[in-house]
Order: sequence, then C-alpha cells, then structure tokens
Amino acid sequence: MNELKTSTDMITAARREGDAIFATVLGEVDLSNSPELRVGLLELIQIKPPKRLILNLAAVPYMDSSAIAVLVETLKKLRVGGGKMVLLSLQPRVKGLLEIARLDSIFPVAKDEVDALTK
Amino acid sequence: MSIGNSTTSPGLELKITSDPASLQQVRHALERFCADHGFDDSECDEIGLCFNEAVANIIRHAYDGAKDKPIDVQTRVAGDGLTLVIRDWGNGELPPSRPKPKLDLLEPGGLGLICLQQMMDEVRYDPQDKGMLLTLVKRKRKP
Repeated sequence: MNELKTSTDMITAARREGDAIFATVLGEVDLSNSPELRVGLLELIQIKPPKRLILNLAAVPYMDSSAIAVLVETLKKLRVGGGKMVLLSLQPRVKGLLEIARLDSIFPVAKDEVDALTK
Repeated sequence: MSIGNSTTSPGLELKITSDPASLQQVRHALERFCADHGFDDSECDEIGLCFNEAVANIIRHAYDGAKDKPIDVQTRVAGDGLTLVIRDWGNGELPPSRPKPKLDLLEPGGLGLICLQQMMDEVRYDPQDKGMLLTLVKRKRKP
C-alpha cells in the first residue's frame, strides 16, 4: 500500500494498491471548490494513471453540475490509458444528479472497496 | 405571477455578488426557508440545486466568471408554490430553450438547464434592458 498526497484538503485520504487508487473526498462540491477537487484528482492520476480510480463519496452530501463535470473530465483522462472510475457510497443527492445526467450507467457504483475492484 | 390563491408568506430577499464562494451559504438559507414553508426534503433539495445551477450559469455565462457583479434573489411562497426570482445585470443572453439530447453522455455542459427543466414546474427567462430576470416556480407535490 502506498499513501498518496494531493494539494487539496477535499481529498482526505488516498492510497495506491496495485493498479488501483482509492481516494476519499470530503464535503459539498459546487462551483466554488470544484476547481480544487479537479486539481486534486488530476494530481492523483497524472504520474502513474491507475486502471481504477475508486472514489469514496460517503462524506459528500452534495454535488452540483460543476462537480459532475470534474468527475467526467477525470474519467475521460483515465480512459485514455484504459482506466475507469468507480464510485463508492453515494449519498442520495449525488446519486440523483448522476441519474439526471444519465451518468449512472457510465460510473459503476460499488457497495464497498472489495466490490469496487470487481467493477 | 400568482400561485394559488391563499395567503402569501413573507419572502426571502437577498442581494449577493457573483462570487461562487457565496453559493453554499445562500443555498442552505434557501433550503431552510423552503423547509420552514412545508416543502419536503426532496423538494428542498431540488430547489436548492436549481438555485445553485441558475446562479452558477449567471456567474459563468452572464458575468463571464467575474466575482463582483450583483445578483438579486427574491423568494416568496403562496399557496402550494414557491416562486424564486433571480435578477442579474449580465449579458442578457437567453440559454437554449431546450438542451439538445446528448449523443455522447460525456460531452460537457447543459446539466444545469436540464435540472431546471426537470425539477421546477415553471422556468421563465425575461430579458431586461440590461441583464435577465429568471423566474422559477416549484409547487408542492400532492400527498
């Protein structure tokens, strides 16, 4: 296991395990801080892009469309290297917005970290 | 605009600037206001998100990212409906009347407008001499 650091407090923990990166995000994400989340996620994947970026969103009660755009941009960059993004522990408001954007079919949602590695 | 025919409650009137840092605090105040006026959790969430998306669109498009421009927000409840009026003094450009369905779901943009159309009962843009007046109406769901 390899702990990873980013420049943002919005990513409270991150680690690499094999070809996967697990990251935990904290707080509401809107236009005021989605650029900060974007920087943090790109920092995580830029040096050695993972095959799976697993984002734990249990502590994210709210996201707006700018936050969804950050997830989409990160996913697109992962896909260039054959990677994917898996979301963990979605709160209802976040899940609902992904459904409205019809992105619930694009982002696999896992029930726990073990399940995330099978998605 | 009238909503129903019963008593109008005192509204919420806010003058904010186009700084994204103000979004969360104002959204929370609006969601509390809605809860205090009998909207359920889901309706409060939807109103809060639509407020967020409407103001974010003003900041990004009408004010081109400037953080010091005025935005007035007026909210009133009458009968079973909430009316949210958002005034800006930006470029006054109308958004697309109906976002085009995306062929590529990963294509960016348009989600805010989709939220307004799906979650609010009325969405009306009234261009002003300078800027735009956006009126959003949300009615309580029937039990």
